[in-house]
Amino acid sequence: MDPFESIKQTFFQECDELLTDAEQGLLDMESGTADSETINAVFRAVHSVKGGAGAFGLEDLIRFAHVFETIMDELRSEKMELTNVVAKTLLRAFDVLADHVAAARDGGQVDEARSSGMLDELKALIGAEGMEDEAADPDEDFGFVPVVLDLDEPGGFVSLDLPEPEAGLPVLEIPAEPEVANGVWIIKFAPGADMYAKANEAGLVLRELARLGPTEVTLHDETLPALDLLSAEQAYFSWTIRLTTEGDEASIREVFEFVEDDCKIEISREGGAPVSLETEPAEEISDDDAKARASAEAPLDLDALLARIGAVPTVEAVAEPVPESTPAPAPAPVVLEAIAEPEPVAVVAAPPPVIEEPAQDVAALIARAQTADVPVAPAPAREKAAPAAASNTPQPAAAATIRVDLDRVDRLINAVGELVIQQAMLSQRVTESGLARSSNVALGLEDLELLTREIQDSVMAIRAQPVKSVFQRMPRLVREVADMVGKRVRLVMDGEGTEVDKTVIERLTDPITHMLRNAIDHGLETPDERTAAGKPTEGVVKLRALHRGGRIVIEVQDDGRGINRPRVRGIAIAKGLITEEAILTDEEVDNLIFLPGFSTADSISDISGRGVGMDVVRRSIQGLGGRITISSEPGKGSKFTMSLPLTLAVLDGMVVTAAEQTLVAPLSAIVESLTPRMEDVHYVGGKDAVIRIRDSFVPLIDVGVALGFRDTPIHAASGVAVLVESEAGGKAALLVEAIQGQRQVVIKSLEANYQQIDGVAAATILGDGRVALILDVDALVTAQHRRKPAARSEKRLAG
Amino acid sequence: MPAASAIKTLIVDDQQTMRSLIRTSLNALGIVNTREAADGEDALRSLVGLPVNLVITDFNMPKLDGLGLLRAIRAHPPTAKTAVIMLTGRADRELVQRAVQFGVNNYLVKPFTTQTLKEKIEAVFGPLQ
Repeated sequence: MDPFESIKQTFFQECDELLTDAEQGLLDMESGTADSETINAVFRAVHSVKGGAGAFGLEDLIRFAHVFETIMDELRSEKMELTNVVAKTLLRAFDVLADHVAAARDGGQVDEARSSGMLDELKALIGAEGMEDEAADPDEDFGFVPVVLDLDEPGGFVSLDLPEPEAGLPVLEIPAEPEVANGVWIIKFAPGADMYAKANEAGLVLRELARLGPTEVTLHDETLPALDLLSAEQAYFSWTIRLTTEGDEASIREVFEFVEDDCKIEISREGGAPVSLETEPAEEISDDDAKARASAEAPLDLDALLARIGAVPTVEAVAEPVPESTPAPAPAPVVLEAIAEPEPVAVVAAPPPVIEEPAQDVAALIARAQTADVPVAPAPAREKAAPAAASNTPQPAAAATIRVDLDRVDRLINAVGELVIQQAMLSQRVTESGLARSSNVALGLEDLELLTREIQDSVMAIRAQPVKSVFQRMPRLVREVADMVGKRVRLVMDGEGTEVDKTVIERLTDPITHMLRNAIDHGLETPDERTAAGKPTEGVVKLRALHRGGRIVIEVQDDGRGINRPRVRGIAIAKGLITEEAILTDEEVDNLIFLPGFSTADSISDISGRGVGMDVVRRSIQGLGGRITISSEPGKGSKFTMSLPLTLAVLDGMVVTAAEQTLVAPLSAIVESLTPRMEDVHYVGGKDAVIRIRDSFVPLIDVGVALGFRDTPIHAASGVAVLVESEAGGKAALLVEAIQGQRQVVIKSLEANYQQIDGVAAATILGDGRVALILDVDALVTAQHRRKPAARSEKRLAG
Repeated sequence: MPAASAIKTLIVDDQQTMRSLIRTSLNALGIVNTREAADGEDALRSLVGLPVNLVITDFNMPKLDGLGLLRAIRAHPPTAKTAVIMLTGRADRELVQRAVQFGVNNYLVKPFTTQTLKEKIEAVFGPLQ
């Protein structure tokens, strides 16, 4: 493949990830949970999309992304305020951006009117002047001086004359920047009793700190005495807070403004020397070094940085002759511990830091970073400190993921499927051969079985993916549907990380889409109705995924009006689905909406309906071996719950015998099994058998006959009836000779190996090496319901 | 006149796409000795062990951005004299000026062609062989 073309594909793959990140960030911005890093991440994502688009000359995408990026830039530099209106506009703009990416990838077209309308809206947000950034002239000469390249000693002996910062440069006022972006601070906060006495509360201070950025709070309760010794007026607790913020030390101090006299506070950069509140290091440094102050740049804590990447320079590493040696005060060991161990626990475990001359230490570090082109010898103490830091620093994990072609994974899965079968066959042969269970062969086989299971589980886990890929499409859907029906909706998602087999994921989208549409269109009330009912105008729809009992459960819950049971009942009666006398529980009434032919909408709306009812949703879920139920509370809302198997590659089945054939019935379809009594079996029209099971009659299907293995049904009382429920909700009793037992089987496609056969869903290979067919319960039941002898399938398996 | 094939280069960008594009362009220029890093910290980690002649870095990256990387390279004696070319977007003149103050050796505006990349590298090292 053309390398350029292959890079382009990588770009679009990356775009998917970037867009996902951007959308999540935008959603956080909308819900007000975004911090500055979120905004920056969205900016970066859009910037990257634009950058890649530039490389491939995707002009439409560049234009749109550029305006989007400009707004994100204004937001992150706080030139523009992030309001809910802005966030909502950006979300809609994001949808257009995603369309642009898709169009560029698939060679399609975006809705030009929508795109340009959106562009105008975005431009209106910034105003004309916002778009007039000074562009960098690609060829402007900033007085760069060529470098003489010495290839023998990369990095070491390159003689390079760095331009003097002031020389030949258009002097530009550089705005003072806060400290290094996203500095990590360690704050030790120990309230005294007086603080509480003055009605200050530690919790409020902690909350206030959290506004500056993400915090990790560790409580120290070691001094808390036993209950009988506890004095209510004493202060026992202290906290260590690890704060990541763009703010500087002053902004952190500000939080403690009202309590600082009554508590002990130590603020330090992570990996830096602690600075207690009493010292004023910033001032001292500025006085000492007016030039450094003029550049007004943030200090670069190189040592901490190098420590963080696990590469504290050793003396050996500095091969170059060092022009001057200004030994910086050795950082106390406790600081190094804090550097070396990123876990907050380590900070907690460390004794209270007692650092001599902290101000000087910080000053040295900063001075060193600011006179960056003057190499400074590492302090002697580093020699000892470095190995300690290196051994304590966990190596950062290498790239945690790889991309693998799905075909390869499928091949692996298939091979493991064969392995499982082979292993089962081998076990069976060994058993048959009469070898003792304690024989070496049998024991070895047992180990092999365990190992095989483990491999199978691991391989299945490779295919398992978080449902996030499905969930992430939903916010957009919800926005669009809500717009269309004029409702205000907030989507709350939970459990996006829940993993399930990829084949299941692919087939989850439609049911979830349908249920969400249904929830917004039918479940939620209009804003006016909600106001009248005393609810907030904005409806909440929750989408949730979780694992339960070896299955994945997906819930869609709304806080709308709930199911109108009298109306559902009325419709069901009118449509002849139930009789007027039928006594149904609330739950049964709710579940009527899944019946084929039931649709509560007076006119089929193109939103939730798309011409199909909930019965179609249920059928597609049952097609995956799943079930769906609804629970509802009038006025409070409804909840749809669907549960699905975690994989479609293996199936829990009931192995049965019919017409001397071994067959497998999917366990998910089986309701119960029983031995028929002759008095319960009746013949309709003298021919088609029905069986009475607890006052209801269901067709009794002889599986051997239905599949064409034989022409005459067996005597009902001599077999076993397996009561099954089809996906459409129809019930039937499958008559077989015997039940062998329950087993997990590996599904083999029949279509891929032979051809599609009515009544058979797939095949599997049993432990004895024989092929067993997996029954298509749905087809068997439906065929029975409309059976005419002449219409029987020509594709018979036998006879 | 440095031989292109001898120039050891570290490409730093959080986007795989960009790294691939730069690498492809460099290879076309005969600069085949390249390494890649996904962000500034990653780059430093790579540099501290194995120095290079040239670092081509994006500006906007998570963890440690291009400017931070530049400053760290300049502040760390073993790498202080490594040539650094910064990649920027169109509207970043101010950024370039700041990078110049921290001793960047040149800059490259995205999107770029192989020819522009060549010109920039030659502006740093002199004509390539």
